[in-house]
Amino acid sequence: MAASVWKRCVTAAVKVKRLSPSLSARRWMLSAAYTDTIVWESRKKDPQNLSVLATTMDRTYDKNLPVSSLTVSRFVDNISSREEVDQAEYYLYKFRHSPNCWYLRDWTIHSWIRQCLKYGAREKALHTVKNKIQYGIFPDDFTFNLLIDSYIKDGDFTSACSVVEEVMLQEAFDLPSTRILSLHALASYRAMRPQLTVSGERALGASLLICGLRQDNNVGLSAQLLGNALLGKVEMLKGIHGVFKGMPLFWGHGYLDRALAVMERVATASGDVKLSKDTLDGMNDVLQELSSSSDSDSSGAESAGEGGEEEKEEDTIDEDDHAEQAKLPHYVSRFKELSSQLESLGKVDSASFQASVAVLAQQDLAAVEKSDLEQYLIRVQAWEAENTQLIKREKEMREKAEQEKQERLAAKAAAEQA
Amino acid sequence: MVKKRRLRLIADMARKVRAYRELKSRPRDSQKYALDYETMKRPHTGKMLPVLAWPDVRKESRLFSLLAGMRLFGMGRLFTRKSWLEDHTEPSYWQITKVKVDYTAENMDHGRAWGILTLKGKPGSEVKELDKVMYHDWRLVPKHMEQQLKDFEPLPEPPVRYVPYPPLIRAMLLAQHKKAFGSMVAEEPVLPLRRDVLLNKDYFRKREQETQRTEGTPV
Repeated sequence: MAASVWKRCVTAAVKVKRLSPSLSARRWMLSAAYTDTIVWESRKKDPQNLSVLATTMDRTYDKNLPVSSLTVSRFVDNISSREEVDQAEYYLYKFRHSPNCWYLRDWTIHSWIRQCLKYGAREKALHTVKNKIQYGIFPDDFTFNLLIDSYIKDGDFTSACSVVEEVMLQEAFDLPSTRILSLHALASYRAMRPQLTVSGERALGASLLICGLRQDNNVGLSAQLLGNALLGKVEMLKGIHGVFKGMPLFWGHGYLDRALAVMERVATASGDVKLSKDTLDGMNDVLQELSSSSDSDSSGAESAGEGGEEEKEEDTIDEDDHAEQAKLPHYVSRFKELSSQLESLGKVDSASFQASVAVLAQQDLAAVEKSDLEQYLIRVQAWEAENTQLIKREKEMREKAEQEKQERLAAKAAAEQA
Repeated sequence: MVKKRRLRLIADMARKVRAYRELKSRPRDSQKYALDYETMKRPHTGKMLPVLAWPDVRKESRLFSLLAGMRLFGMGRLFTRKSWLEDHTEPSYWQITKVKVDYTAENMDHGRAWGILTLKGKPGSEVKELDKVMYHDWRLVPKHMEQQLKDFEPLPEPPVRYVPYPPLIRAMLLAQHKKAFGSMVAEEPVLPLRRDVLLNKDYFRKREQETQRTEGTPV
């Protein structure tokens, strides 16, 4: 008891400490009004004893009966300490593997992420979002914004990029604020020059591409170009199946071709359309790497006699992919002429990708945040209405069950007497 | 007279109990369609998959493997099959409307789904159950490609062509008509090259009844 009180004081102190940097934060992170928990805390409270709820759920699961989503949402709402966060994770897992898994409510998911952030269990929240198949956590865009922002504020761009990857897998880049935050996270991550595996490059490329496709300006076009380039690199190394399996990407060959098409579109477009220089450099690097590796491959195949083993691995890359690999020198030459054309037309922006994202954020973020907050208020009210309706329905069903039980007992007593 | 069948009450009861127990012990989808990827065998029946399906099973994924990682199990999203992509140039896809997941599966990997089919660009009208859900053949249509698939306009079907009957059958038809109505038929009898007839037992039974009603020989 004392330990939980102490822990609550500590977490409250940590919360105060974390709020103050955000007030003096630079403009391109979400403002304090956005991340403020006042609206969420001022909802109608439904105090329940967590142990009672837990025993009810355990008994229901033992009897093989379905647990209602209201019970789970009450459990998550009434979390008050870090251990209870772990218990809630277990019950979320059990709910996902029950017949009612489809009915997990949006407000339960939002409340879960809020509680995790409040009690310092951010890694737990990230873990549940990453294993969304097992926990059923599919946050909506406002919740994603909160999570990405909390990672950006702490400068942890690797985790911020993994959250952006989850947003990409849900294709949830609808709100402009989500797009700006994710582009900022991706640009900062790339600026850190991390050592990426092929799967990391695939995730980064896919996030850049899908975010850029929704964004209709220069930053979006640069993101599309870079995303297509990275995915083209993965396509050359692993074949087209290695690109789109498990990701919402198109299965057609030729991602490098699509990257060059973006450059062509920018070159022929009228108006102030620009591509940032370091994305063009990035594409150049990708092409150089691919051509150097293909040169070393062809020289290596002449010498070694281990062709038998390599043959079996390359069966996964079929003839279409070989055709793609053959087109690589053609792509390199086309890239050179298109980039010279863009430079001559003056359509190359010398500011870095990160800087242009920051400029965009500065311009748009304030207005977009306001509309987001209004939407959020409406949504919270709708959730509360649904919640009260569910509580009412549960009460009615309980009363009806009581009534039927009384009738049955009365009938049995009457039968016994007669 | 046939002896009256003996009343075997206990055997009837045993039969009912056996049927009930079989109903209760039906394997769930996740058990029925589980697959060992090394030996390509289904653990439930012990049978192996056909060899031509092995590369697909290794490379592609089942529908519910894709649906498990999506919000609301992918309601309203479009899904294509790799075999349709290879066979038809026109886009064919299913739009999911209802999903029932097998919750005993570890990764929510199996279940049943219902939706609206669009085959070769022609949209369907009603919600049907998706078949071949457990095949390793499915691909998600990303949102940025959805509009491209939906915009596809299928070519209108060419009109039905007609062809004259073979001479003997033509003579029989003309003779029948003359016998029934007494005058020469105004136009040439033609045979449509496509008939919208579902050939099943009822159709043939009706045909036989009609031919039995007409009498005499044709010519």
